[in-house]
Amino acid sequence: MAKKRQATKRSTSARRPKRSARSAMSVATNARKTVKERVAALAEVPVAVCERDENLQAVLKVLRDKDEPVNVRLAALKSLQTASFSVVAFESCRGDYIGTLREVAEDSDPEIRQRVLGILAREKDGYAQKKLLEGLQHPEKALVPAEKALQLLSYDVHADAYPIARSIVSKPPNAAARREALRLLAADASAAPVFEKLLRDKDELAEIRQISASALQALKPEKLRAHAREMLLDTSEYDDIQVTSLTALTQFGGEAVAKDEALMKRVDRLRGKASTKVKQSARRFLDKYGR
Amino acid sequence: MMQSVANMSGMSEPQFAALVDALAANPDQREQLTDLLRENQPLYDQRGAATIVRMRGWVLLALVRAGVADSALLFVLEELDTGVDPYLIAAAARALRSYPNPSPAFAPFVKRALTNIRYRDEPVSFENYGEYAVSSAGTSPVRELLATLTWLGPHAHGILHEIESLRGGISKKLLIDLDRAVEAIRSGEQVDAPGASGTCCTLPSGLSSTSSWGIGSRCGCEPIESTVFEDHDGAEITFDKFFKGHPSIVVFFYTRCDNPLKCSLTVTKLANIQKLLEARGLADQINTAAITYDPAFDLPERLRGYGQNRGVRLDARHRMLRTIDGLDRLRGHFNLGVNFIESLVNRHRIEAYVLDADGRIAACFERIHWDEQQVVNRAIEMLKEKSGETKSETSPEPADGGLAAECGECHHQPSRPTKS
Repeated sequence: MAKKRQATKRSTSARRPKRSARSAMSVATNARKTVKERVAALAEVPVAVCERDENLQAVLKVLRDKDEPVNVRLAALKSLQTASFSVVAFESCRGDYIGTLREVAEDSDPEIRQRVLGILAREKDGYAQKKLLEGLQHPEKALVPAEKALQLLSYDVHADAYPIARSIVSKPPNAAARREALRLLAADASAAPVFEKLLRDKDELAEIRQISASALQALKPEKLRAHAREMLLDTSEYDDIQVTSLTALTQFGGEAVAKDEALMKRVDRLRGKASTKVKQSARRFLDKYGR
Repeated sequence: MMQSVANMSGMSEPQFAALVDALAANPDQREQLTDLLRENQPLYDQRGAATIVRMRGWVLLALVRAGVADSALLFVLEELDTGVDPYLIAAAARALRSYPNPSPAFAPFVKRALTNIRYRDEPVSFENYGEYAVSSAGTSPVRELLATLTWLGPHAHGILHEIESLRGGISKKLLIDLDRAVEAIRSGEQVDAPGASGTCCTLPSGLSSTSSWGIGSRCGCEPIESTVFEDHDGAEITFDKFFKGHPSIVVFFYTRCDNPLKCSLTVTKLANIQKLLEARGLADQINTAAITYDPAFDLPERLRGYGQNRGVRLDARHRMLRTIDGLDRLRGHFNLGVNFIESLVNRHRIEAYVLDADGRIAACFERIHWDEQQVVNRAIEMLKEKSGETKSETSPEPADGGLAAECGECHHQPSRPTKS
């Protein structure tokens, strides 16, 4: 099977005529070529991008040029991003690359904006963080949706996003933004009480309660263990939350759990009489604690 | 007219920028400008890390206009030694050029900064406060560092080979700057630092990143004796129980530090210190501790993992610690070079301490990378002191009248620290 797949791959690549980097560059930057041809050519040029300054400038120009088709600009961005993975080879290109990304961070095309801000946010770029925070504080200036901005800001614990994330949790523009704000706050040591409250709130969505469980494990693991125990003993608790509680105690329970007879009895009962997913988790729990 | 430096904690960034400009313009207030580079300034409290970068960068750029005095030099060199932010490194490189005398001792710092930033070079703007460069026009940290090498000229002869080797990597646009730097370095006779060992990074004479206190001039640890710590295994211990009875070596760090040249390296160097102690059979006579700045997040499991991953020996005498309460008292006692936004560190310096057998601060190593052997030697002196082998010092004075580090503030009151 693997041989057959390899043979197919070989024959496909054999059908594609090999061309030089120079020729690929010439197609990639030629506005008279079709979008498909240019996108394919740009996929071939990452190595060539940093070999010659003219190549770099040409690809950056495509990315910057608002009159170019969006798909071609996105292909140029992808090509540059691929080239940037070779940190040493990219050394001579990085300054122009970062400068151009900042320049197009406010592009009229939403996908280009989002992709560019994503790259800059992963670099912990101060300019991108400033723009993302501005957009959350003043939605009329937002370059990306609130939930995306929060996700991108969460790449840097020092991005100063906790205050705005807290205000979004208390007054969310939409459910996705609230979810991402909570994810971001999972690294905020002072947010543990918020997560405890959400975890125990049966009116909350299962996803939010699970995010809260995960956050508590990071911030106050002993609190998660205590709540997980209580939620397991609560016969009116939802299946998803029972599974989350079982998983938490299986992974992080410790000796105290093994000695907890009331808990063992309850899990033993769940192993026999519960939904399939709860039964499975109960079995794993009892296996771990030797029952 | 102008707000005093001590009274600025609530000021806005534009107000801060205006204040810095005013201080830079007034030769009588240069020291206040330098004071703004201390991390524990109240005005840095509760500001984000990016804001701190903008503020410190603006102070460094003000030093370009005001001129870097001896008192500010350590801060400038610190940024070159341990900085990873392109804006701050570029600003520090530019600031160094306003120091009156180029010195061969600066060259290794510039080289180190080039090594640290060359793969993260990006455009920066110095035009207005808080401005980001939105194109590749203008300057960058590598460009500024090359300009500083040009300023150093023959004083940078010791690193000429490394500078020439940049030719294969840096941007074409920077080649002209590189050529200029190389030409300047070659333009005169090689100048070596007096007594330079060739190791990175020896400070110029008259400047120190180390302070020492004799027995009679050390502050007592009464204010923090009862401070409770939790260690990497979750065991609780008070300051006096762990730090009294044996000399100790203490470093500060936090696990979420994203500068590999600070906390990660500090804890790795603590592991080296432990190996040096073991090799001399002193691991059970001198305690070591790494105390986190971020006790709310750095729970025992995190402390343990962070230490183990960096080769730290962990047992009853060698612990990773977090305060359960009393971080503020600890900050005050050590005069820690750190500030926070909520419980998260927004900026800190490198700092390591040697405590005597009574838990009192006997030596402090700060800002510039310290040498493990030097720290161990100082701790061994404490052992001798404990056994009465050394004569008590009661009123030390700076060894050569140079500039001492600012750590251990309470020690400034009884007497001045001895510069090492």
